[in-house]
Amino acid sequence: MTTIITAENLSKSFGSFQALKNVNLTIQKGQIVGIIGANGAGKTTLLNSILGLSAYDGRLNVLGFDPNSQRDELMKQICFISDVATLPKWIRVSEAIDFVEGVHPSFDREKVLRLLAGTTVPLDKKIRQLSKGMIVQVHLALIMAIDAKILVLDEPTLGLDIIYRKKFYHQLLEDFFDEDRTILITTHQVDEIENILSQVIFIREGEIALEADMEEIGEQWLVLNPATDNIDAARAMAPASEQTLLGRTSFIFNGQPRAELEKLGDVSRVSLSDLFVTLMDGE
Amino acid sequence: MATQWKNDQPIYLQLKEQILAMIIDGALNEGEALPSVRKVAVDYQINPITASKAYAELVDEGLVEKRRGLGMFILEGARKNLLKAEQKKFLSKEWPEITKRISLLGLNVKQLIETAEKNTSHSS
Repeated sequence: MTTIITAENLSKSFGSFQALKNVNLTIQKGQIVGIIGANGAGKTTLLNSILGLSAYDGRLNVLGFDPNSQRDELMKQICFISDVATLPKWIRVSEAIDFVEGVHPSFDREKVLRLLAGTTVPLDKKIRQLSKGMIVQVHLALIMAIDAKILVLDEPTLGLDIIYRKKFYHQLLEDFFDEDRTILITTHQVDEIENILSQVIFIREGEIALEADMEEIGEQWLVLNPATDNIDAARAMAPASEQTLLGRTSFIFNGQPRAELEKLGDVSRVSLSDLFVTLMDGE
Repeated sequence: MATQWKNDQPIYLQLKEQILAMIIDGALNEGEALPSVRKVAVDYQINPITASKAYAELVDEGLVEKRRGLGMFILEGARKNLLKAEQKKFLSKEWPEITKRISLLGLNVKQLIETAEKNTSHSS
């Protein structure tokens, strides 16, 4: 395992508002990391700091570089999409390819042409003349043709319908991701990416509420639907949260052994969205 | 195709179960290669780590072997061993549950055999 991102006491304030408060975290190579938090929790601030787009306090190391002072070097090995389909309306697809080739040293023109050859995107048309779905394909092809070590996706599928969202992640796994690359994603559609993630970071009011491997989460956090007679016994085991739906009570537990919980009822794994709600409500 | 995963078990175990079921019913044959981890990850929209974990389980159980540079292959005898293991599992785990339920419902052996024979003749 190679660490590619380390943050120590990372903080960022906008006036009196503290967007990040002493964040510590490490991210290893080859992970697909979901960064999950409510609006204004600090997700984008964290990503912008990693990308060197915003100044910060504390220490941050990305691929051996300090994003504040070595942004030029860092940019050669990192790429990002915030809100796909926001390419300039007036540019032709072929011109966009020329442009990225001109500005990015590790751009592979052959690869972008190969990726677009598999689509119906016309290279001679302007972005304005393309459908939203086509713009997404162009944007993603441009990004995937960059031989980057880290890909940062900030709400990449905002405004896309379910078909294009699925295609987007499909392409990402098929044509970009491998064990030498790392992907950081923020999205509100947590359920859609949950299965492709290997690590997750929950942010709450500028602080890390939980940082764990998906595997750890699957072992640590469990949902119990107890038999009616066992509800009090379940409550006595200090659940992290309790929910009643249609008269049926369920609990989310952190760190209770599965075998113990199974004595009280049906045990299942927790979804990231349920875990998110639990963490945001807690304390 | 997107697969609907169940909530009760981790995905890698469910993926492993699916592959086991495919070996038993002959959708995957002994000596055949399994699809690559990447292909599984893309097709099922799961993290490659999850896919390789399912494969690792199959290797540990002696059903599949990794051939360097070629990928994963289903071993000779895998189906027979699996069938034996599944039969054992059925008799020790599922059958006691079913017999418990049979006696709870007050069904007798004659009724059960008659219904079973009727169903088999229907399906054949």
